[in-house]
Amino acid sequence: MNTSSPVKWLNERDVILRFIRKLTEELPELKSHTIKAEAGTILFDRGHQLNHLYLLMEGEVKLSWTNKKKEEMQLIKLGPGHFVGLVAFATGGKTLTNAEVSAESVILKMEQHQFEQYLSEHPRIMHPMQQLMISNMVERFGNNLKLHTKTNILTDELKSERNELKAAYAKLESTHEALVLQEKMATLGELVAGFAHEINNPAAAIMRSAETLKDHFNSESSNGILSLFFRLGLEQEPMNSSEVRSRILKVQKEFPWINNRPLERKMAQMPDKAFALINEHKKKVPLEEMVQQFEAGKLIHNIETGSKRVANLVKSLKSYSRQDKNELESINIRDGLQDTILILGHRLKYLNLTVDLQPIPNLLGKMGDLNQVWTNIIVNACDVLDKSGDIGIECSANDQRILVRIWDSGPGIPSEHLSRIFDTNFTTKNGQAEFGLGLGLAISKQIIMQHGGSISATNRSEGGAVFEVSLPV
Amino acid sequence: MDHQIYILIVEDELEVMDAIVNDLAAFEDQFPIETANSSEEAKQVITSIYESEQEVGLILCDHILPGENGVELLIELSTLTHTQNSKKVLVTGQAGLEDTVKAVNQADLNHYISKPWTKEQLSDVVTEQLTDYVIEHKANLLPFMARLDGTRLSEAMRNRPLTDH
Repeated sequence: MNTSSPVKWLNERDVILRFIRKLTEELPELKSHTIKAEAGTILFDRGHQLNHLYLLMEGEVKLSWTNKKKEEMQLIKLGPGHFVGLVAFATGGKTLTNAEVSAESVILKMEQHQFEQYLSEHPRIMHPMQQLMISNMVERFGNNLKLHTKTNILTDELKSERNELKAAYAKLESTHEALVLQEKMATLGELVAGFAHEINNPAAAIMRSAETLKDHFNSESSNGILSLFFRLGLEQEPMNSSEVRSRILKVQKEFPWINNRPLERKMAQMPDKAFALINEHKKKVPLEEMVQQFEAGKLIHNIETGSKRVANLVKSLKSYSRQDKNELESINIRDGLQDTILILGHRLKYLNLTVDLQPIPNLLGKMGDLNQVWTNIIVNACDVLDKSGDIGIECSANDQRILVRIWDSGPGIPSEHLSRIFDTNFTTKNGQAEFGLGLGLAISKQIIMQHGGSISATNRSEGGAVFEVSLPV
Repeated sequence: MDHQIYILIVEDELEVMDAIVNDLAAFEDQFPIETANSSEEAKQVITSIYESEQEVGLILCDHILPGENGVELLIELSTLTHTQNSKKVLVTGQAGLEDTVKAVNQADLNHYISKPWTKEQLSDVVTEQLTDYVIEHKANLLPFMARLDGTRLSEAMRNRPLTDH
């Protein structure tokens, strides 16, 4: 068995037990303390003071423990040669377990003072008893050590399992966030499509009415000179305020007798041609009427410009969101870029925008998704530039690939961010509640990859960042 | 012409500017209108108004403007001597809650008009603001009785302590 020389007697529990059995036969006091117990006999419950020590001669005793849920957990089964209640007995503390006879047993049951008495009165029994006790203790200590080791291993396993769970949870969370964002975008797209549809009717009504109103004015006006002023108004593009200011001075100089500021302002927005007409006809036609006709034409011009803008925005919104069919189809990315630029007009308005969109072949893709990519990149550039700076949007084709470049003149991307910029949850917009969700570029990359393309972000040598997307035709 | 109180409109979209000016034409016999398409131009116009010894009683301002936005402009104007007393109104469809709160707290914003407006609504706000302005800053309120809120003006005159003319 063991290659080293173990303390032999410690392993010879059977021999010792046989010796003790023999002694119990010979010593009547011991024999009178030997009891027979049926299976199911409870020796003691957990948490009690113990007055007796039990030495199991034959049979089996089960040690168990009741947890908080009142469930019994079996700990060990003790066989012949084992003491039961040894720890409580030796320390005088409370029992740590329940002990129940699990097979018919023969047990030597002794009170403490009896036990000590035997040991002192019968030196023959003292020695084997002590040996047996030490053997018991050694075995339990060994078990204890094994348990400790096992607990440590289990703790380690639990720890790594917990870390794996943590990582899985984090991944799940970011997937969830991405899904929520996608869902949001889908809802937004639906809303936009619905809104675009609903606003089309009133926009069309305004456009058509303006047109009809124009015809009415043109035909009903019997007076030739008044309809001339109406047409001048219709053709007049609006003037900016500084031009209006300087032309008010001109009107005041040319028509010093007017002395009516609202009228002067209206006249200031007339072309020089109109001034000559006024001078020519002012004796026959009241000035106010001429100005009014011009103003009417100008207002209809404004209505037309405004409603055309609404109609164009709606058209772009509809093709931009493509909610009705965001599926693989033959699309031209150039159209998508143009729509995106129009939709983001309110952001791009005050930047110095360079657009170079070369004719490119169609490709098979999802227009709505790709537009989301352009939007993400352009909005990021606008955020970086704030209110002034250059931004460029370009597309071109070569060797069966379509290239889209979007660059800005901002501070560029810090080198430590370059490698992480397409990671989920990477954002530099912390604390800004609006759109800094940190998913934009991660989703963009996903979309581009779904189209079999690639996306990269670098810094330009002349300053600022550039995003390049390459897509196969 | 004698001393006049100006209305300044700051708006970058020319058609929209045209519409506001038309809606306020009735005020112009007494309160001349000046216009600017950007914050920068607005400040130049204000300077030239004061150089010709006139004053700005009311500023109507859009929020989204080229360069400095409307709220920033109003905050700046509220710190300048010439314009700190001018009534300030934001006319916009695009100022978010945060910007608006900033305007109220830091620029003493007097009113907020959201686009699209109605002529009646715009006239009412302008009447109310100019009435406030003249009550606070003008000794003689009689010339304004016809154009502005006569009831409030006469009440203000009654409540004024007699001055030693």
